[in-house]
Amino acid sequence: MAERQELAPRQEGRPERTPRRRAMSPPVDVYETDEGLILLADMPGVTPESLEVKVEDNVLHLRGEIAEAPGEEVRPEYVEVRGREYYRAFTLGPEFDQEKIEATLKHGVLRLFIPKVESERPRRIEIKTVQ
Amino acid sequence: MPINWTWDPFEEFERIRAELDRLLEWASPVRSIRGEEIYPRINVGESAEEVLVYIFAPGVDPGKVELSLEGNVLSVSGERDSEAELGVKEVRPERFLRQERFSGKFSRVLTLPESVDPEKVEAEYRNGIILVRIGKKAERRARKIEVKTS
Repeated sequence: MAERQELAPRQEGRPERTPRRRAMSPPVDVYETDEGLILLADMPGVTPESLEVKVEDNVLHLRGEIAEAPGEEVRPEYVEVRGREYYRAFTLGPEFDQEKIEATLKHGVLRLFIPKVESERPRRIEIKTVQ
Repeated sequence: MPINWTWDPFEEFERIRAELDRLLEWASPVRSIRGEEIYPRINVGESAEEVLVYIFAPGVDPGKVELSLEGNVLSVSGERDSEAELGVKEVRPERFLRQERFSGKFSRVLTLPESVDPEKVEAEYRNGIILVRIGKKAERRARKIEVKTS
């Protein structure tokens, strides 16, 4: 798997002194096409209303919450998913058009399309045959 | 690190704790300790009337999930193609910059509390979670015992 600077997981600064409630880190696939990047993130339980995708200072933030959780009358017997929140962040390089990111959510999978700016797309060079 | 008066042992503990947290964070939410992914993850809860099983199975075709309950043993199996959502005609493996999501066949079996009634099961798939609700046998429900005063 190739590590790419432009979509490296965001490096944290100094360790935080006050421990925050830790969010779950969703597994992602990142796929590159000529037009841009496709990012898929598994976030089961998240709805369009409980999802937040934003870019701030070249950092793409994915945040979501499991919308439906059992009520108080339900006693946990066995738990593999702890917590309700998902969070993950990526650094975006200048070759991506942050204004035109498209997001869709289906069956708990977030799909983002992050287009490359026009000048960064590979150009097809037509080869003319000279008769 | 030389020990001197500016050395703060608590800061050092804090640093180690943060390092461990980072390692665990990397390891825990996505993978088990040995590195492989758990898919689907499962939570089980119980109320007075029913047992609730939450199967976290994002991106599956519900028609391709096999769910069965025999006595109190619940089995779930199926297949997920992690590349389906890419929406790309021809997927070229070298174009993946990251590939962490589970792909392939899965199968899990879990034992539920003995009080479940296999006749009273319903399941629905919503937002990537299969919620299985199983009623309890009437005689196994917690009964309130009245304390009589003489």
